[in-house]
Amino acid sequence: MRHPNEAALALQAGGDLGTLARWKMERHLARCGRCREEVAAFQALRELLPEMAAPREIHWNRLAAEMKANIRLGLAAGECVGAEPVTERDTPLFAGARAAAAFASVLVLLIGGIVLERPAPKGELAGIEGVEFQTTANGIQVREGVGMLRLLNGAQDFRMQIGGRVRDVPAVTITPGAQGSMGAGYVDSQTGIPTVTNVYYAD
Amino acid sequence: MRIKAQGPLALVGFLSAASLLAQDIPLPSGSIKINLPDGSPLLIAGTVTDQSRATARGAAMVIDLDLLLQLRNVSGRQIHGVTLRVVSQEVTVGGYASVAYPSLHVGPGETFPARIDIELVRPTQAMSGSLVEVNLDGVLFQDLSFYGPDRLNSRRSMTAREMEAQRDREYFKRILAQRGPDGLKTAMLESLTRQAERPRLDVRVVRGGPAVTSAANPAPKSAAEFAFLEFPDSPVAPVSGYAQVAGNEARAPRIDVRNDSKQVVRWVEIGWLVRDQSGRRYMAASIPAADPGLLLRPGGTARVLQDTALNFSKDGRPVNIHDMTGFVSQVQFADGRMWQPGRGDLEKESLLNLLPPSNEEQRLSDVYRKKGISALVEELKKY
Repeated sequence: MRHPNEAALALQAGGDLGTLARWKMERHLARCGRCREEVAAFQALRELLPEMAAPREIHWNRLAAEMKANIRLGLAAGECVGAEPVTERDTPLFAGARAAAAFASVLVLLIGGIVLERPAPKGELAGIEGVEFQTTANGIQVREGVGMLRLLNGAQDFRMQIGGRVRDVPAVTITPGAQGSMGAGYVDSQTGIPTVTNVYYAD
Repeated sequence: MRIKAQGPLALVGFLSAASLLAQDIPLPSGSIKINLPDGSPLLIAGTVTDQSRATARGAAMVIDLDLLLQLRNVSGRQIHGVTLRVVSQEVTVGGYASVAYPSLHVGPGETFPARIDIELVRPTQAMSGSLVEVNLDGVLFQDLSFYGPDRLNSRRSMTAREMEAQRDREYFKRILAQRGPDGLKTAMLESLTRQAERPRLDVRVVRGGPAVTSAANPAPKSAAEFAFLEFPDSPVAPVSGYAQVAGNEARAPRIDVRNDSKQVVRWVEIGWLVRDQSGRRYMAASIPAADPGLLLRPGGTARVLQDTALNFSKDGRPVNIHDMTGFVSQVQFADGRMWQPGRGDLEKESLLNLLPPSNEEQRLSDVYRKKGISALVEELKKY
């Protein structure tokens, strides 16, 4: 089975794929657990990190136009460089068309960096103050701002026949602490050792 | 000259492409620091971290630390429990974790595997120094003596777990003695049925701020009183208690308790049950005494309270609280001894169907499920 690349999965997680690509992706996800998990991981990350939500102040059309212009400039500069015979020349390292190509590349890189590292806008989770403890599909976690520490469970729920009925038996027991803690208990499936994990917070 | 000019451009291009794609990055050396004090009854006989990964996701970094330790008992006594303290100052300033291994039977010179699987999300991709520190917090021996700094009160929690383990192990041994392997098999199937049918809630605990209450239930908070279950031999009795309740959120539980024993008590923990609108009961949380310096003299009263907000849901839907019940689940005396409800008391109050199984019951049912009744019989004959 051919899997979509990470970028496509991330776009799917954010609902940013086009209609046809989304239809193809959904068909793939319906029969591929691995990619479903990957999309779920991207979605979980988006929920955790409010700064990944789109900032309102960026003018995407203008940004796209600028990037296209820079790419065209880079391509044109590249053609100019490519049209010349390959000969040794005594020219400065960054001059003329090559300088323009380098400048365009650096500009694209800078814009990409600004978009990726921009300051966090106010998202839904920004309304929650304090420290939060909760269970997730695969563990327990403590979260403070965008920092998160999660202990993963070393066991998975199982299914077995008991008294003529097939039952889903949870392998992990969860014990919340009202003082601000979360605990999980299970028999580690790799080691066979009973294990109790807890997350806490100290001021 | 031309080749020299293209080199920096290619490097810039490669770096920009690498930063834009999600990819695994090897962890820098020294990412995990493991500290065992001098004179520790445990030695590290081996460490495996090759499954650990860091993955760039947008501007953030997701770090998976999969650590497998082989720990050797270098003391002359049998070890029954170990607690490790896990800290990641780099990610959460005050957040920390513990990984405990109860129900052990590790003799002198023997080794056992200890696995720690952690995921960290940090907002930047910069990495330096140790990401995670693992320290020994305590070792519990067969005779309930203890070694370690005990910064997490692991002596108390491991002693409580060991007492639960002995209680449940004795229960299954008694069934084997009285009803044979067939009776033991029936008891194991009953245990697994209880584990499958035990009603479970998703609980979110928020410190220092309100939990997110369901928008469908913007009801004003009101003080709801606790009802109490009492065990005849409990050294501490609950007197009264309440919490602020609104829809599926409960906040600031407070419970007054009285020491009915003749000994000084230094720790009390209350089990907290909630009932939803349809009458179904769930184990919600435990409420430990907030005061670490508690000294409750005979006949004295104290208040067990916590200033947190708890949010209850199930399958993504809010579970509105109809009423609440409390019971004394753990008491520690000043001399270190502990009291817990007996299995008979739990059964009588139908709590056995609501509380999570002990680590030992989980372990024994795991042996039965994976290896069958003969292996379980052999396991019970060992200790």
